[in-house]
Amino acid sequence: MRWTACELHAHTLHSDGKMTLTELASAAAKLGFECVALTDHNTMSGLADKEAAERQAGIAILPGMEWTTFHGHMVTVGLAEYVDWRQANTGNIHDGVSAVHARGGVAGLAHPFRIGSPACTGCYWEYEVEDWNDFDYIEAWSGTFAPIKTDNARAFALWTDKLNEGYRLAATSGRDWHDAAETDEPISVTYLRLEDESRPIGEEAVEALRRGRVSVTIGPLVTLEAETPAAFYRIGDVIPADKRTVTASIGIDFSVRQGHWALADPACRIRLSSNQGVLEERAVQATEDTQKIRMAVQTEGLSWMRAELWGIVRGVSALIAFTNAIYFD
Amino acid sequence: MLIDIRANATPEDSRTHVRFAFQLDEPAFAVRIHFEYSPKRLDDDGRARELLKHSFEKYVLPEQRALAKERLDRYLPLNNLITLSVDDPDGYRGACHRHDPVQGLTISEHDASPGLMKGKLAAGEWTITLSLHAIVTDSCAYRLQVWVEDGERKGEQP
Repeated sequence: MRWTACELHAHTLHSDGKMTLTELASAAAKLGFECVALTDHNTMSGLADKEAAERQAGIAILPGMEWTTFHGHMVTVGLAEYVDWRQANTGNIHDGVSAVHARGGVAGLAHPFRIGSPACTGCYWEYEVEDWNDFDYIEAWSGTFAPIKTDNARAFALWTDKLNEGYRLAATSGRDWHDAAETDEPISVTYLRLEDESRPIGEEAVEALRRGRVSVTIGPLVTLEAETPAAFYRIGDVIPADKRTVTASIGIDFSVRQGHWALADPACRIRLSSNQGVLEERAVQATEDTQKIRMAVQTEGLSWMRAELWGIVRGVSALIAFTNAIYFD
Repeated sequence: MLIDIRANATPEDSRTHVRFAFQLDEPAFAVRIHFEYSPKRLDDDGRARELLKHSFEKYVLPEQRALAKERLDRYLPLNNLITLSVDDPDGYRGACHRHDPVQGLTISEHDASPGLMKGKLAAGEWTITLSLHAIVTDSCAYRLQVWVEDGERKGEQP
């Protein structure tokens, strides 16, 4: 088992990006990513260069496409075959999601609250959703310095609302990366947990998205585990109903992607959140290694819990990292 | 020339697809496409601001609208956006989702413009789909030309 740093939303000159796929993969590798999804608008033609780009950059490329429709953008990852985006209307998006799933892919809402047409055509999600479980994820953090953006706060709140309503779906980040220009803004990373390292990284990464084995950050990698005397649960897992108490164990790994991020203010707060609000919060000091924080949790009434790391970033109080949920039956 | 069309789109055509089919009687060496639309930009500043304010009502939370209006300029200028995709007799051959209002595209067995997929050009019915994502000017004229290039001649636009 290991966590792999992924960029899940990127474009090349096969749509409106400025980079070739090799340039994109190399730029991602330089930023400490091990995996990048190619999600060009409405085309998968860029994948013709996949193997060469992977070899040259030394990282994995996930096949994908961003459905760039009139009523919303939907990121699809993990499928090698095209699914037609042009049939989508506000009432039938589930047909599209089913077709993506049938071809082995996963589907997520891209930047659902970015301003829509005509400023950014189709960017705001206007599709009717009948069953949120049908979607694999919500891109909660879009762009750079994602946690301070109001559109992202709305997407994050949408995800939380759906968890509270009992749905089980993941939340990710995606830079919506179009050009090679460097930025000094914090870059989000979606860490995906690869369970079976003997399988190709691409397949395991997509499985991680499907199962919600996801942790998102602009800095340290935050993980969450839950233990009972008899069993052990990780992010994305479901704890059976008969477990009355569990020990939650939050890991904060400050050593990841060294040199690619920094916290000027080491004073942080780690929070265990749930459908019943904040279960516990503690102060932590950023260090250079891994910290483990254990908390006893009474499970009655809980349907999900996640860990959140808060702190001051560029002078602003911000969510630095969040795990995806561990669920309770 | 397999297709040579001039037409106009209006704001009411936003969020619609327009399809143009053509027939390849025999497998071709290359298909060339010239597509352009004009104007690209909405120059009427007052109109652009009005459109944006209307979209803020729809897309921005009430408590954030004042700030959105203050920062309205960052969304200017507003542009028309039409993108093009191609289907051959067997299925999708890609899309060119980019903002250029003039696009010269080629698709052939060994090469294709970015966004399109190279490969054999089979005989049968082909379709060019224009996706009118947004038309913000009162009228937007577009032109679509499609022709076949044989192996010997380097195709010049007729």
